[in-house]
Amino acid sequence: MWQGEVGMRIILIGFGVVGKSVTAIIARRYSERVKDYGFNPKIVAIVDVDGAVINPRGLSAEKLETLRQKGFPISKDPEFGHPGMSALDVIESVEAEVVVEVTPVNIKNGEPAMSHITKAFKTGKHVVTTNKGPLALALPALMELAEYNNVYFRFSGTVGGGTPMLEFAKRCLAGDKILAIKGILNGTTNYILTEMAQKRVTFQEALSNAQKLGYAETDPTMDVEGFDTACKIVILANWVMNRKVTLRDVDRTGIRGVTLQELDEAAKRGNTIKLIGAIDGEGKPTVKPMEIPKTSPLCVSGVLNAVTFHTEFAGEQTLVGKGAGGVETASAVLRDLLEIRRRLASKMLS
Amino acid sequence: MKFGGTSVATGENIHRVASIVADSFKEGYSVVVVVSALAGVTNQLMEEAEQAKRQSEKKVQEFTNQLTARHLEAAEKAIEDGGIRKEVKQIIRKTVDELEKVLLGICYVGEVTPKSRDYVLSFGERLSTPLVWGALRDLKVPTQYFTGKEAGIVTDDNFGEARPLMNVTTHHVRERLEPLLEKKIVPVVTGYIAATQDGIVTTLGRGGSDYTATILSVALSADEVWIWTDVNGIMTTDPKIVPLAKTLPRLSFGEAAEMAIFGAKAMHPSALEPVAEARIPVRIRNVFNPENPGTLIANGQETASKDVVKAVALIRDVAMINIKGAAMVGAPGSYAKVLDVLGKSNINIMMISAAVSEANVSLIIRRSLLGRALSALEIALLGRGMVSEITAEDDVCVIAAMGANMKGTPGVASRIFTALAKKGINIRMIAQGSSELNISFVVKEKDGEAAVRAIHEEFKLESM
Repeated sequence: MWQGEVGMRIILIGFGVVGKSVTAIIARRYSERVKDYGFNPKIVAIVDVDGAVINPRGLSAEKLETLRQKGFPISKDPEFGHPGMSALDVIESVEAEVVVEVTPVNIKNGEPAMSHITKAFKTGKHVVTTNKGPLALALPALMELAEYNNVYFRFSGTVGGGTPMLEFAKRCLAGDKILAIKGILNGTTNYILTEMAQKRVTFQEALSNAQKLGYAETDPTMDVEGFDTACKIVILANWVMNRKVTLRDVDRTGIRGVTLQELDEAAKRGNTIKLIGAIDGEGKPTVKPMEIPKTSPLCVSGVLNAVTFHTEFAGEQTLVGKGAGGVETASAVLRDLLEIRRRLASKMLS
Repeated sequence: MKFGGTSVATGENIHRVASIVADSFKEGYSVVVVVSALAGVTNQLMEEAEQAKRQSEKKVQEFTNQLTARHLEAAEKAIEDGGIRKEVKQIIRKTVDELEKVLLGICYVGEVTPKSRDYVLSFGERLSTPLVWGALRDLKVPTQYFTGKEAGIVTDDNFGEARPLMNVTTHHVRERLEPLLEKKIVPVVTGYIAATQDGIVTTLGRGGSDYTATILSVALSADEVWIWTDVNGIMTTDPKIVPLAKTLPRLSFGEAAEMAIFGAKAMHPSALEPVAEARIPVRIRNVFNPENPGTLIANGQETASKDVVKAVALIRDVAMINIKGAAMVGAPGSYAKVLDVLGKSNINIMMISAAVSEANVSLIIRRSLLGRALSALEIALLGRGMVSEITAEDDVCVIAAMGANMKGTPGVASRIFTALAKKGINIRMIAQGSSELNISFVVKEKDGEAAVRAIHEEFKLESM
């Protein structure tokens, strides 16, 4: 008799905040998932830097809970641990339908996620990722490779965290033409600019506050120099507007140069300064601090994100939500898994 | 810049090629060089791959020895510096050793697969490229050589006729070659060969080395592609038929693709595809006459001149099949059956014509396939009520008059046919696509050259 669970098999690569949240969400929503969607994904392997935990029949909810609590190093697990086993080995040798890639972002060369994703494609596995690095550097190439290998590639957690910005544009606005996109796509910088404007503190003070609250990293370059926003703009440009751009095509300015004086002057005009990522009508991607009216629906404060799609027929549509967070991002992973399952089902039954 | 087989056929030629590259480099251009195999080598490899499966080891060694000798001799003449020459010779010996192992493998196993054939075919370019690399170093040009695979060209696994995954390729090529170009290093890349996503060697088939050049130029957003060959450019017609034939200074991508299809000595249409889409101009130039500006293929060139007919091509070795049957008139799907039978027999139809009223369809195919085609059509279609008669003529040829400005210009066909009528040439079959890039027609083979001359004269192509 079959002793395991029945359901789509998942390899989880990366066991940080997002990775742990993915296992938590999958374990926690068990009854609803099965009842409402008939969807019962099981995690057959988890890989972290130290090695892997593998159970081809699916790791149980209790086991996932234990792994989450014990944390690093996971491969010491007495039952299913494989110390030193690399992600590439696991992707190659463990049977699964989907690889969920949630390792840390690297915008220099996209590694190790780039290799994980391409290996998954080549071995016929679908991929869900929240990792912006490889996408920002090579999204056109990755999309082509996925199509060539006949697998699905989904990454809705990369933009807007749990807020379904990519799906909204792609699916809810289907048939309309998206002419331009404008957004506040990074919570850290938005928090800093909001603090500066409302509490009249300098950039440095606002940054150290953000770091104290855990909104900003010790090395804040990714956020304050606009790289994170640029990555998201690249993803939006490719996925929503079909523009084959990569990170190096983005004209990018960070927020280090924004002064209190500039904020004051903007306020006199009823405006404020935000770090705006945009793709204009010609498809040119830019990231720079821009003055926008305080009354604009885009003008959100704190760590919130917002994006406005300018469409030909439906006018302007703005979506607001939390742009980051482990559970929020993990919810995007779950959405992507459901979407892949739906597509697979219609393919198999057609 | 791409250099064809004749351009690198001998050591002297390779030296000439290197000087051309060095001149451009010294003028400050960023150059990527794509190299074909030495003239004739790819065909030899193709033959050897087939022969190896039923040959002795000794025969294989004879072949590889001869190949080594030819390339070493070329190195001798192309490279002056002793140290560089020694290095290149070592690479050649090592590469031929690898080839020998592959051929012996085929010899032992007694089988050649599409995969192993592509591997064998890749050696022509792998041997020619180090020669050009060495000759460039000889001229103090900083350079580095790559196989197409190392340069980052990723294709599907359709061995023998692989197609690039263009976005993946762009990503890898930019990553690998752009840093070199920034450092003023000239990358020298093997033409014709690439690799699958798993790194297995593929070849680009008929598009060949030109295809490599156009793929790289699109990936790197080049300003122009220069195809260096042994003629001045694309001509109004074959100079063997009309000695006064002229080189065409400018063509559109559409016209160039037409001419390539009709066998003008030019680029294969699949090689033109990436640059046509990216609107990167292509120049065809003569290695042995670099002063000549050659032919420029670029967007919008069709309107640059007023000439309606720009070139005439004669296609020999074809045959015409006529299929008759009163029941074909008004019967949906009847033509489809004819085409289907030929398609299933792997026979390409070059030209087709069927009148509104006539119970008759005429086809043009390669003459060598005529026997196979007739037998397939007879077996599948005769005696079933629809087709009553199948006849063939194997003493015909196709003539194609090309030019983008034919579109919307009335009277072109009438001028062509009047010119032929004056010479007493009877036309057997006519076809014109609605894109109006060319008018093709069939005449008896004995009238072919006279027909080309008549059209060349009528449209005054000799004074273009």
